[in-house]
Amino acid sequence: MTARVSAGLLLLTIITPAAAQSVPRHATIVYAVGREPTMPIPLFTAMFTENEDLADQMFLHLAVFKPGAQVTGDNALAPALAKSWHRIDPLTLVFDLDHRARWQDGTPVSAHDVVFTWQLANKTATDQSRLEPIAGVDALDPWTVRVRFKRPFLEQLYTFAFLMQPLPAHLLERVPPDAIGTSDFAKHPIGNGPFRFDHRVPGQLVELRADTSFYLGRPSIDRVIFRFVTDANTRQNLFLTGETDILDHVAPASLPQIHDDAAARIVNAPSSDLVYLLFNTRAPNDTSRIHPIFSDPRVREALTLALDRPVIARTSYGEGTPVPDAAQSQSWAWITAGGFKPAPGNLARAKALLAQAGWRDANGDGVLDKNGLPLHINVMYPASSAPRHTIALQVQQMWRAVGAEAELDRIEGSVIRGRVFGGQFDVWINVAVQDPTPTSLVQSWSCQSAHHLPTTNFAGWCDSTFDRLVGVASSAKDQPAAWRAVLSRMASQHPAIFIAAPSSIVAVHRRYDNVIIWPSRAWLSLWQWRVRPDAALPRDR
Amino acid sequence: MLRRTGDAIATALVASVVLVILLHLLPGDPLAAVLGDHPVAPDVEARMRQHWATLPAIFGGLLRGDLGQSIVQNRPVATILAEHLGPTFLLGALTLLIDFTAGLALGVWSALHPDTMRARFVGAVTIVGYALPSFVIGMLLVWVFALKLHWFPPGGVSDVLLSPDASFASRLVDHLWHLALPLAAMVIATLAVPLRQQRSAALATAAQPWVLAARARGISPGLVAWRHCWRPALTPIVTLLGLWFPMLVAGAVFVEVVFQWPGVGLLLAQATADRDVPLVIGGGLLLIIAVQLGSLLADVLYHVVDPAQRHA
Repeated sequence: MTARVSAGLLLLTIITPAAAQSVPRHATIVYAVGREPTMPIPLFTAMFTENEDLADQMFLHLAVFKPGAQVTGDNALAPALAKSWHRIDPLTLVFDLDHRARWQDGTPVSAHDVVFTWQLANKTATDQSRLEPIAGVDALDPWTVRVRFKRPFLEQLYTFAFLMQPLPAHLLERVPPDAIGTSDFAKHPIGNGPFRFDHRVPGQLVELRADTSFYLGRPSIDRVIFRFVTDANTRQNLFLTGETDILDHVAPASLPQIHDDAAARIVNAPSSDLVYLLFNTRAPNDTSRIHPIFSDPRVREALTLALDRPVIARTSYGEGTPVPDAAQSQSWAWITAGGFKPAPGNLARAKALLAQAGWRDANGDGVLDKNGLPLHINVMYPASSAPRHTIALQVQQMWRAVGAEAELDRIEGSVIRGRVFGGQFDVWINVAVQDPTPTSLVQSWSCQSAHHLPTTNFAGWCDSTFDRLVGVASSAKDQPAAWRAVLSRMASQHPAIFIAAPSSIVAVHRRYDNVIIWPSRAWLSLWQWRVRPDAALPRDR
Repeated sequence: MLRRTGDAIATALVASVVLVILLHLLPGDPLAAVLGDHPVAPDVEARMRQHWATLPAIFGGLLRGDLGQSIVQNRPVATILAEHLGPTFLLGALTLLIDFTAGLALGVWSALHPDTMRARFVGAVTIVGYALPSFVIGMLLVWVFALKLHWFPPGGVSDVLLSPDASFASRLVDHLWHLALPLAAMVIATLAVPLRQQRSAALATAAQPWVLAARARGISPGLVAWRHCWRPALTPIVTLLGLWFPMLVAGAVFVEVVFQWPGVGLLLAQATADRDVPLVIGGGLLLIIAVQLGSLLADVLYHVVDPAQRHA
């Protein structure tokens, strides 16, 4: 399978011979999630996956991904709530809403809903940076919306149409924005998507029912239950005993057990996850100063070359896990059509680079030092992550071979945020979930993000050449080539050691067909899954 | 008793203050639970934080009987605690019931048959259960009875697929089916304590002159055990009951986590990890009150079981 295809339809569409039996009347999906989706309302999800996944079942986007999941250009997305769109000029897009679309209380979805949601987003959205490129939104008639952008760029369609999930103006206009989160609407959302909110058992589950009058066709799944199970082991046990139908984030160590389960099928979906060791370029105790070790690119390169990254990726995330040289998850595999080809490790070159940079073992203790400063590196990662602990142990061992001493700092998730945002770390083993669009690189790796809040450029890395290349790529005609140049520049500067672009390993009950899992917003197509009539369980009948 | 009640209230207040202060000294930020590592503009962060209660506001709220809002769930703490209290109470009450019936009966029986193989076997089995951490017992039970034998579900409080219209009997059976493994884990982990306490106390009592005199009068062993051994040996058990009473409201964190039993223990474990300070304080207060109630209950029971206390 080529990289393009693997980045593309992110999963598995299994077409079975046409089954003669009738579709099960109560086809059901039970999905155990790690935390309770308490606010599955677009704009109010606080960007939590569980909230977003639940909201995706009830609220339509204006447009959704196509197989391939590229997001540049005006043809990048497939129609959803908007049946079509056209460009007026480089700064203006016009969307035609589907006249058949209805809120689940029967009210038609209108352009006014879109304008209302845009206005509400400006008051309430947690991440305003996503809205920044949009200059204004107005209704031309009840089903036509005009969107004006501040500047021309290739992802205008994605920026508005995918990120926009309209809310019902007729139900929320009179509710103060600050009160929406605690309103009756939040307790019993009314959407326009394939599923209706049915009921919630606090602390236990949310149940959705198919909207039989859904204008894009009746969902082939009748009910979806989001069950809350905080403990990963229990989620796995529930799947293995048949109480749930989907198990996501399957750990490689659990694969044999799941393979032994005759009812389970493993789905390797390309994901947006990227695992890397981030070098802090600023001194942890005084972020106005440069880091005494990592400000030197030769040290960063040496520490990268000292690692056998394919081995680390394999032992931490399983056989065949791609290893990128720059910030590139599998969802951006289309940039490098030949697949991921990591630069090999080179211990001799690593030692030579450290020597060039002035690091010597002056006191013979096995740890290099320079001007009295030992090459001692604090490696921070969350205590709850087993793969990252595996990575840390191997990094510690491999760095020892070049005279670098790694101190493993395994800390609680609630403490990490403060340390990361405060720049108080040497190396942080991070798992980033990348946006579908590579222009999002500016959020974490640009000079602008190094100096302005809010930012995810936690290391303060800044390279003007990289910034210039990103600017070029944002409007380049040959998108893959332009972004290859961007990633190549990043790889040459070693702002981080990129360890793995792991797949999303999902176990799904075998009775489902048409299983599609997207790399971002994974369960957008849940309503199109089907239960094979010959394999239906009692709960499906 | 009035003085004892006053002491209990004062202790609860001091413990609450210490709890609140300790929680604020903990490193970590609830923003991590609310936003993960998503960045937000400083003004947005400030807007979010302004809704979170400060230390003086928390104390003020407590004085007014208001536990405040959960930071992560954005709902009243009292409501959330009330939702989780039922499952915990059910699990805790049944555990105490079994511990203090079967455990006591086995304790007296062991004391009356101290040198038999059966008594040694029971003692050994229960002590192994006591020695194993409760989460290990829980995981073993899940592995054997849920994953291998498929007799019981591995977690949860009820079948999520059970219709809301299901009959009371169906729902009861379903709850009991889900309760079996967590309850077994709790009982296995705790049964040895009342058993051994009761056994020691009964053995000591059995050596008392009035017991020997009763036997000498030809009273049946069963009646001797019931009338002359059991009740005088209850005092240490009453102490134990007072100490374990908080289990009714705080649950057993590890068992609730392993079985995802949606009780207060599981809630507090998650709230602590999330640094959801108002929720942890609310749960902590519940625990403090339960400890004090348990202590008061023990005092009352002393008076019931020990005539000397009544007349003192």
